[in-house]
Amino acid sequence: MQTQERINGKDLINIGIYAAIYCVVMTAVAMIGFIPVCMPLLAVLCPLVGGITMMLFYTKVKKFGMITIMGTIIGLFLMVTGMGVWPAVFGFVFGLLADFIAKSGGYASAKKCTLSYATMCLTIFGNYIPLYLNIDEYFSTRQSFAGTDYVTTLASVMQPWTAPLIFAACFAFGALGAVLGQKLLKKHFEKAGVA
Amino acid sequence: MASSVLQLEGQKRGLVLDPRTKLFLLLTMAVFGLGGAGGSAVDVVLPLVLLLPYPLLLLAGKWKWALFGVVAYVGSDLFLLYVSPHIGGVLSYITLGSCAILNRFLPSILMAAYLMSTTTVSEFTAAMQRMHVSEKIIIPLSVMFRFFPTVADEAASIGTAMRMRDIRMGGSNMAKALEYRMVPLMTCCVKIGEELSAAALTRGLGGTVKRTNICKIGFRVQDAIALVICAVPWVLLVVDVFNRGLNGVLL
Repeated sequence: MQTQERINGKDLINIGIYAAIYCVVMTAVAMIGFIPVCMPLLAVLCPLVGGITMMLFYTKVKKFGMITIMGTIIGLFLMVTGMGVWPAVFGFVFGLLADFIAKSGGYASAKKCTLSYATMCLTIFGNYIPLYLNIDEYFSTRQSFAGTDYVTTLASVMQPWTAPLIFAACFAFGALGAVLGQKLLKKHFEKAGVA
Repeated sequence: MASSVLQLEGQKRGLVLDPRTKLFLLLTMAVFGLGGAGGSAVDVVLPLVLLLPYPLLLLAGKWKWALFGVVAYVGSDLFLLYVSPHIGGVLSYITLGSCAILNRFLPSILMAAYLMSTTTVSEFTAAMQRMHVSEKIIIPLSVMFRFFPTVADEAASIGTAMRMRDIRMGGSNMAKALEYRMVPLMTCCVKIGEELSAAALTRGLGGTVKRTNICKIGFRVQDAIALVICAVPWVLLVVDVFNRGLNGVLL
């Protein structure tokens, strides 16, 4: 019924608002990546913190397509902030997948929303792909620190075998972030009349 | 903040670039400067492209940003060259990482600052419409464009309030830091967002008719120059990829 309706202006504005909050929060969290050893930690922190924003967004989602647009926009944002083209591709693909999952739960089932958000978090894995494929080229544009400690440390942390681990971490902590988000939703937002 | 969001007509605007040119510049910076695409093939022209934000900022009268860029770049470069070899251990990783990343991100940060501070939402929308982007992407993007300064502003205020109560990273109430910051931020941003949404809908956003726009955008001589400079690394990238027989398609 309501899920069959077309996306209208209000929905699109909602997407914009939550995408803006999400991107600001992500940027703040991503500052931790300045410390090379903490780079993989972002796969844990971003889904966890982002879960709060996204769960509130999910309460506004009633129509198919909103999560896809959200994923695409986040992917585009990551691309413009210099993570390469992979996040944009991942954003669309996993956004669409997440949309289908949430739709199967009628956009109301808490379990399906958790699963859906966890799927969306896989977009973050797209950021790491250039690091795995060729770390030397990733840093070659700045001669001043090519081959310095930073790159060597980063290379030693980002071993190829960590790729599936990070992939799994994005998903697992995405689910955890969603649960955390739902808890906070109950504790604060419903009381404040926002959710 | 208001001046960056509303019309800029009353102000001295300096050199005006088409929003599409600015977007292309930003994309070029992100792909080549940050993403490191093309590798050694584009090394020759890259500095020229990465230096573009400085004259642009100066010509738009944003000399404070340009000054910040120069100071940050020279500072971090000198630091990397002279100071970092002398310190060791964890501290060196942190400082080295920060400087290196600052160095790397700077051109894009400046370009983004230029884009945000010299483009009105209306111009941005007009440019997106000319590029035939779907309404479904334009509306969220223009809302984001309008909303970024607000979120950052609120976050800063909440940060100050929480610091007063010693709820911060490394403080005595660290465990609460996340919840006590995220919840107020979300609550007030959503409230502001709802008001914004009501205001926009009243003015007919998302209606069935096509939105008209009085902003005059178009390509001029300065756009052509900027676009040509930016096109060079792309051409080099294509040639490079072609030469390597599709092995280096990686961005």
